[in-house]
Amino acid sequence: MTLGQIIEKYKCNVYSRTPFNTGKEIRYAFCSDLMSDALMIMSTVRESGILEDSVLITGLATNQSIRTAEMLDVQIVCLVRGKIPAQQVIDLADESGITLIGTELTMFNLSGRLYQEGIVGIASKK
Amino acid sequence: MIAVDKRYDIIPNDFNFAGRASSDIKRTLKSMHFSREFIKRVSVAAYEAEINIVIHSRGGKAAFKICEDALYLEFVDIGPGIPDIQLALTPGYSTASEESRLNGFGAGMGFSNILKSVDKMDILSDPNGTVLKLKFNITEADRDENR
Ligand SMILES: Nc1ncnc2c1ncn2[C@@H]1O[C@H](COP(=O)(O)OP(=O)(O)O)[C@@H](O)[C@H]1O
Ligand SMILES: [Mg+2]
Repeated sequence: MTLGQIIEKYKCNVYSRTPFNTGKEIRYAFCSDLMSDALMIMSTVRESGILEDSVLITGLATNQSIRTAEMLDVQIVCLVRGKIPAQQVIDLADESGITLIGTELTMFNLSGRLYQEGIVGIASKK
Repeated sequence: MIAVDKRYDIIPNDFNFAGRASSDIKRTLKSMHFSREFIKRVSVAAYEAEINIVIHSRGGKAAFKICEDALYLEFVDIGPGIPDIQLALTPGYSTASEESRLNGFGAGMGFSNILKSVDKMDILSDPNGTVLKLKFNITEADRDENR
């Protein structure tokens, strides 16, 4: 699924102003409100290209969601259940080159739909 | 030869500022063309250590050095220290406040994450403060930005 399709299908708002590629293929996802969990699970990924093609789905509309994505080389953060990021969060996303989008869907419903579309969840590798 | 020597302030309880040091470390490594894999390893460890100072201490500093074939990060804070280091290293153990959890931290996995990323870690702690030293060995492959 491409980023453009995700934005259109789930009626996402695009908050960041940095230009992005709507044709970017999204192949993987991880969802959590706990950034510790995202760091722990996503940092175990060793193959290159996976995190770069991932979306971090979260209800946490703070700077730390952006920072976490930045540390992991994840380029897209999607806020759920209509959370609206503060201006400073949007500014940080722009500064870090992260595409910040948001949908009214809940975390479960967005994740379920993406899963149905064939997007693979990132799991910890022991 | 010392190729990099940088210092950062870490402000306690400031969730907006948190991550600034790690972000600068990451950008510096990117500009030096290290491999993505290596940069991620260092960034994740730096971020966990930086967040620990933000959420568990009265504030501190970070130092970032690259010297020949090693990268060093040193995090120093001004207390209250870690009473039982063995316990603090146990996966899942956390004394994080409710506020930290609401900001997405406090799963008790920070040290586990750091240990997975580093080649060597040392902790010195008493009530006056904690020093966390991390060392990353730099191999030929780590210097290749195409990896
Ligand atoms: N700089 C520090 N000063 C005081 N205590 C700390 C510091 N860093 C870590 N700790 C202690 O070690 C515990 C475990 O840390 P960590 O594994 O990062 O988990 P978390 O930060 O999620 O609680 C913390 O809950 C805290 O009690
Ligand atoms: Mg921690």
